[in-house]
Amino acid sequence: MKRIKLWKMILLATLSLFVISACSGQGKEPASSQPQTETKEEGGTAAAPPDPLGKYPETVTVTEVMGFNPPEDPRTPKGITPEQNAYLKDLKEMLNIEVKYKWTVPSSQFSQKFSLALASGDLPDILELDGKNFEKLKKQGMLADLTEAYNDYASPTLKKYMESDGGFAMKTYSQDGKQLGIPAFEDPFLSTQLLWIRKDWLDNLKLEPPKTMDELEMVAKAFVQQDPDQNGKNDTYGLVLQKNLFFWGFDARGFFNGFGAYPSMGDGQTAWIQDGSGKLIPGLIQPEVKTALGKLQSWYKEGILDKEFALKDENKAVEDITAGKVGISYGEWWYPNWPLNLNVDKDPNANWIAIQIPGLDGPGKSLVPKIRGDKVYAVNKKMKNPEAAIKMINFYIEMGNKEYLNQNQAEKGYVYNWFSPRIYNPAQIETIYTEVNKALEANQTEITLDDENYKNVADVFKATKDYLAGDTSNASKGVNWGQYFSRAAKDGGWGLTRQIKEKQAFVNHEFYGLPTATQVEKGAQLDKLMQETFTKIIMGSSVDEFDKFVASWKSLGGDEITQEVNDWYSQQAVK
Amino acid sequence: MHRPTMSRRLFVLLNTLLLTTITVLGIIPFIHLLSISLSSNTAAMAGEVKLWPVGFNVDAYRYLGEKVEFFLSFGVSLERVVLGTAVNMFLIFITAYPLSKSKEQFKHRTLYVWFFAITMFFGGGLIPTYITVKNTGLIDSIWALILPGALNVWNMVLMLNFFRTIPKELDEAATIDGAGHWRVLWSIYLPVSLPSIATIGLFTIVGHWNSWFDGILYLNSPEKYPLQTYLSTLIMSINSQMTSISIEQLKAMENLSEKTLRTAQIFMGALPIMLVYPFLQKYFVKGITVGSVKE
Amino acid sequence: MRTLKKEYLLHLMLLPGVIVTLIYAYGPMVGLVMAFQQFEPLSGFFHSEFVGFENFQYVFGLPDFKQVMWNTLVISVFKMVLHLLVPLILALLLNEVTRKWFSRFVQSAIFLPFFLSWTVLGGVIIELFSLSGPVNGLLTAFHLEPIMFMLDNDWFRGIIIGSDVWKGMGYNMIVMLAAIAGINANLYEAAEVDGAGKWKQMLHITLPGMAPIVILLAVLSLGGILNAGFEQILIMYNPTVYEGSDIIDTFVYRLGMFSQQFGPAAAVGLFKSVISLVLVSVTYYAAYKYNNYRIF
Repeated sequence: MKRIKLWKMILLATLSLFVISACSGQGKEPASSQPQTETKEEGGTAAAPPDPLGKYPETVTVTEVMGFNPPEDPRTPKGITPEQNAYLKDLKEMLNIEVKYKWTVPSSQFSQKFSLALASGDLPDILELDGKNFEKLKKQGMLADLTEAYNDYASPTLKKYMESDGGFAMKTYSQDGKQLGIPAFEDPFLSTQLLWIRKDWLDNLKLEPPKTMDELEMVAKAFVQQDPDQNGKNDTYGLVLQKNLFFWGFDARGFFNGFGAYPSMGDGQTAWIQDGSGKLIPGLIQPEVKTALGKLQSWYKEGILDKEFALKDENKAVEDITAGKVGISYGEWWYPNWPLNLNVDKDPNANWIAIQIPGLDGPGKSLVPKIRGDKVYAVNKKMKNPEAAIKMINFYIEMGNKEYLNQNQAEKGYVYNWFSPRIYNPAQIETIYTEVNKALEANQTEITLDDENYKNVADVFKATKDYLAGDTSNASKGVNWGQYFSRAAKDGGWGLTRQIKEKQAFVNHEFYGLPTATQVEKGAQLDKLMQETFTKIIMGSSVDEFDKFVASWKSLGGDEITQEVNDWYSQQAVK
Repeated sequence: MHRPTMSRRLFVLLNTLLLTTITVLGIIPFIHLLSISLSSNTAAMAGEVKLWPVGFNVDAYRYLGEKVEFFLSFGVSLERVVLGTAVNMFLIFITAYPLSKSKEQFKHRTLYVWFFAITMFFGGGLIPTYITVKNTGLIDSIWALILPGALNVWNMVLMLNFFRTIPKELDEAATIDGAGHWRVLWSIYLPVSLPSIATIGLFTIVGHWNSWFDGILYLNSPEKYPLQTYLSTLIMSINSQMTSISIEQLKAMENLSEKTLRTAQIFMGALPIMLVYPFLQKYFVKGITVGSVKE
Repeated sequence: MRTLKKEYLLHLMLLPGVIVTLIYAYGPMVGLVMAFQQFEPLSGFFHSEFVGFENFQYVFGLPDFKQVMWNTLVISVFKMVLHLLVPLILALLLNEVTRKWFSRFVQSAIFLPFFLSWTVLGGVIIELFSLSGPVNGLLTAFHLEPIMFMLDNDWFRGIIIGSDVWKGMGYNMIVMLAAIAGINANLYEAAEVDGAGKWKQMLHITLPGMAPIVILLAVLSLGGILNAGFEQILIMYNPTVYEGSDIIDTFVYRLGMFSQQFGPAAAVGLFKSVISLVLVSVTYYAAYKYNNYRIF
């Protein structure tokens, strides 16, 4: 008997240990509401005029967490750790801010680790958040108001960036006049769908680049049947497609857009387009989608698609492109940068061009979102110096200037993709495009630009020069071409995207709010239903399955989501 | 020895054939990996490499030889395997021994057995476990990878079942000689259980060597990662929930194209266990206990 | 007096294991309350709202749940049976190999796939069974129609089960070999003197000698009846075979992927645990009652 009692004691003791410590973790929260007032005082008493890059008299320690990828530049010293990043050393010297990492983790595991940190109530000072976590922390009142810090301390360049879209993104992350985060966003037109096609194959078969769906079908058939690579083997197919029909690459978004169908932005959830009467309708269930599916089905039957596309992930799709098995792919501006460059390096004859997506009669319109980028920097309410976060953003932008470039080299231990918070010029690609082309036209040998964009522009300029001169001493032909043809060439990735933007040949995906309640609850089911039905239709079941799909989609939550999205649209959307 | 019969010979032949086929099946993926790691990157990316290198070169291994991260994490893994196996095996011995007694010898054994067994089916999940590890102050230390799983119940149950096959007479003889439990365990049970100790030891070593997820959870900086955790960061492709690829992610995708380097590291990660294996194996082929007496 | 002292020592020996298990296995079980909560990480276990059995109702009420449950059972039962049968046969066959180097070599090779993750093996298997892969190459060589193995519900299930057995068979095989190694050699000698052939020796000595371990492995694997192999299926499946291979874990994963739905996930986990515990307890007592054999 006695023994059993002892037993129970141990059990109780252990459990209560757990309970107490878990409780105390929670208990900290109420106390956290105080520092907010403190913050304001400090902001007020700080040295006279706020200086965006002013040095603190006393060292300010800032905690961060990091999801990282390995250093991107191969010249980076081996074995360097995030704490040794030379940016941090400069930050200390210039601003007297010291960064401490609570933890660092490979980016693919970030969200998991971050959830744990959330659950155990152990958040850092500066937070890099996605939309969902931002919303969560906002609801719990964990985020500091950055309005004052931003107004006083944001450098003119940072302000210029944030105003470049008319303050649209900033407004999304503010509430009741309080700025709760600084968004990192990109030009939404980066999402424009293009058709990438092998010009050398077209030439081999004496064909013209297709402008309409019918022409594309003819070309694709020829790519299957007429040995476009002239190797005497029947080893090519028409259009590359991977198992996720709507994804970030090698998918069917552009194909559907060609039919005037706008099913999804790439997440498997429906896109939302205007119906002309001020309402939003789900693009996924419109009749045009059915027509497009029918066409994909006939392409599958004729061997234009790989018989086993439903097994391919993006890596397999890339393998086919690299191996020269396929010569047509829908996708965004960056393809030359990766993975088309791999194909160019493998096959010196490969010559990829970009054209506007073919439509039913003449070029079609691509779907483009309202905001691109799902990352926002916020500050923990408990942090004493919220303006330090703004200063750090200023610092990173400043480091792109030419004067720092001698110092700011990967081989000296500067790992830019480890520094946070960093905000890029939302118009980075556009700046690169115009500056490089300006320098090319003026026949310059170097970039004369002297602002924070210098480094990015100079890199592309160098690659372009090398490519045009056939110089492969710095990088392979494919890599140079990839830089040039994605960012600088007039008919390349971004060059063509600009033309499409000017011609207004696009349709907007209007919904940019956070997922609605029903989306969160039912989204995964609807996604599965869509993937299953669409894949089966393409592989041969009746196209009329689509009508059944529409009915189930609506009843399984689609109608509720439509209602919620329209409520959001009428109340919160910035039009 | 008498001459084998006809049917016996036929059996041996078929047996050898069958086992050889299975062997080949087991080895193929490794040859595939090895071939990729020894091929040129473009051939690897084009999916042209099957069972023989295309564009043979050893650049991946040369580069690997210079990779500090690889060797650092290799060291951590060794430390983990040595410490972890020692702790695990010790706990398995001292836990399995009392539980291998019959109910008459040890009254409360069934209570204890269920106390341990229940943990095989019930767990608190990721977050509560993390909080517990955090509260016991192990975060960011190698003990976080060892203590939470210090007693592997599955292996312990295996061990206790092996212990039970030990003839009771040995046990009783020793007790009459005045040996206590401690001595019975160390000088009688363990020496006769070598095959099972080798087996469970191997599982423990493999378990420690291969687990990677706890490294992500409990360690706060990549310099402290064991090898498989480090490798997992190379294998995982970019987050599949991503709906658009940003300029930075694009650069990461380019890096992922170093397929030969990745496979070289996977191959090297599996190699040490393959080397340890034959070593432990000699304890559990029947040769040691049965064969020696029989032949 | 003497026995008491002895028992006291036995308790002492168990103490370290008990402490570790209490802290790291029972401590976190507080988290099981999540199954009954609308769990929000920021609020923790003590401030999240209790919702009773709502999470269970929610999960069980989802339209695909029946199909998913069925798939899970079919796949895991096949896996369980084959995970015992195949290693058993392999261990017996290996036991008959007289050349030691060959036996060792085969053992190593059979154990090898165990070391590779599904991320790596999944790709290899998809390649093997693709239209242009070696398996279909073999079929065409025999003038048979090529088969899209990975896109057909029945074939795909078979591949899932087969490849899992192939990857894991080394583990149980080694346990069984160790059991064979522990069989008293005198028994074989006596049998040989009696003139029993190899077949009879296997039937009457080897198999009965292995029985306890095989039964143990069988009962322990019952505990995993609702685990049909999450990582493997996640890596290998595709929309065309959802129908036949979507299991509880992949189903919950897709739920969780969209938003962190901790509550429903915990509910499923608890449901699985209870089922396993019941199954294992029943077999434990059945074995004890009818055979007077304690599994553990």
